[in-house]
Amino acid sequence: MQSIRGRGIPKIKRGKVTIRMTPKERVLQFLQGEKVDRPPIFSGMGNVIKPVLDRFGIVFSKVHRDPELMARAAAGMYREFGFECAVVPFDLGVEAEALGAKMSFYDDVEGLLYPTIKEKSVKSAEDVRMPADLKNSGRVPVVTGAIKALRRELGDEVAIGTYVLGPFTLAGQVKELDELFEESFLEPEKTNLLLERLSDVIIALSRIYREAGADYVTLREMGGTSDVMSPKSFKSLIKPHLVRILAEMPRPSILHICGDTNSIIADMAECGADALSVDQKNCMSETRQKLGPDTLILGNFDPIKVLHKGEAKDVGPAVIASLRGGASAVWPGCDLWPEVPRENMEALMSALKEA
Amino acid sequence: MKLIQIAGYLGSGKTTLIIALVKALAESGAKIAVMVNDVGEIPVDGRVMQEYGLTVKDIGGGCICCQVAGSMMKTLEILSREQRPDLVIIEPTGIAVPESIRKTALLTAARTHISIGPTIVLFDTTRAEKLLTYETLQRLVATQLSDADIIALSKVDAAPEETITQAAAAVRGMNPSAEVLRLSVRTGEGISDLSRAVLEMSIPA
Repeated sequence: MQSIRGRGIPKIKRGKVTIRMTPKERVLQFLQGEKVDRPPIFSGMGNVIKPVLDRFGIVFSKVHRDPELMARAAAGMYREFGFECAVVPFDLGVEAEALGAKMSFYDDVEGLLYPTIKEKSVKSAEDVRMPADLKNSGRVPVVTGAIKALRRELGDEVAIGTYVLGPFTLAGQVKELDELFEESFLEPEKTNLLLERLSDVIIALSRIYREAGADYVTLREMGGTSDVMSPKSFKSLIKPHLVRILAEMPRPSILHICGDTNSIIADMAECGADALSVDQKNCMSETRQKLGPDTLILGNFDPIKVLHKGEAKDVGPAVIASLRGGASAVWPGCDLWPEVPRENMEALMSALKEA
Repeated sequence: MKLIQIAGYLGSGKTTLIIALVKALAESGAKIAVMVNDVGEIPVDGRVMQEYGLTVKDIGGGCICCQVAGSMMKTLEILSREQRPDLVIIEPTGIAVPESIRKTALLTAARTHISIGPTIVLFDTTRAEKLLTYETLQRLVATQLSDADIIALSKVDAAPEETITQAAAAVRGMNPSAEVLRLSVRTGEGISDLSRAVLEMSIPA
């Protein structure tokens, strides 16, 4: 077996990929920095596509509120395509809703729309209180119910993943964004208190998910991207909270930030996650050079341009380019848009076999 | 079908401008659709704009990098197939990066035959000092302005002339190639210039 740590991505030999491990063993051993037979093909973010929804007759707007449907959809990605994980939930509103935000699920909209937050619940840190019964707040029981169902159905074969939002991203979900940005400059101590309280909720939620049966948790701090926040602000305002969350949340953990991350990648590495996840805007070769061979780096594979809008024949080369560029596994750089064509998903799954 | 982006930081007057522009453009006979994605305000904005007889499409929530991108592409394809508007005006969320929106739209080009019109980025002159000096805002504001074809200095009726002059100099420094103009929806200043640019300006893909 070959090491897949860092630069030690296995040389992919044509026709010589041997399946020796279950997807669960492969993913979890990989995240623990152990040797695996080949890079896993998985995600820690939302992934369900229409062939799976259609097969089970699942309406997208309903999948977010029913644990059985949620589990069936997540399991379908493994059963239908062999995607080596089962990840729930699919949207980004679970935490905000547990804290009192009101959601729109777009039941009456034809086609696919992700839920949005229609009513924010927080003006200041004082408004953020740990729910007395977080396990049963909002849609938390939907997610834990889905995790338990996945554990029951697939727990021996497939790693069960879940995700929580980072504190700054969550702050933008529960509080008006312009107020958040202004307060974080004028009265950073107030924002710090807000992020601290949100971090408590995030840590508690990640533990609830682990207790329900999640094998790994991704911390998604999209608001921390350098497209939005300067590296200086990321370092002073956001990073300390990420460090605490990652120290206290279950492991293995992955820290994901999208957009331009090259200027904060060293700080991301210092946050303490077992692996880092970036999207296609990251220059992976520069990142690998900066972080050295031992850091697990995921992503840098474009789920929109390549997987959703690209042609099947282009998927395999993009996967290989991502690995050769320095990525440690095959991991789309963000959620999968549900209209990824079946043939592209199949091409993703066969990319390593055909390499 | 030409895509026009009205971008800019939160509260810079994007929705107000779109309503004014649509009224001005109505005289040209152009068929217009509007796509909105302003977190938390979509239903209200959508209703307001529907009162003007527009096709208003919500592009939903989720991660701006991918979920919104997928939704936006789908909406463009549906609009292209079913409504065939001459102009699609997109109002992304106030923290969106205009260049990412443009690149995403171009991914639909094969199906939508979309062409790219100007990206208009609003700069709120009544909050110029905050936008230019607050450490936590500078990055986003600079990113958005650097992607603009036209920078509209908004709410000039409510800001001191000295501030407007300084703001104009600052934004020119961030994006020397963009056209910079004054905008006041209240007085109508700049609306005809912008509507002309929307109809006439095309940006190479």
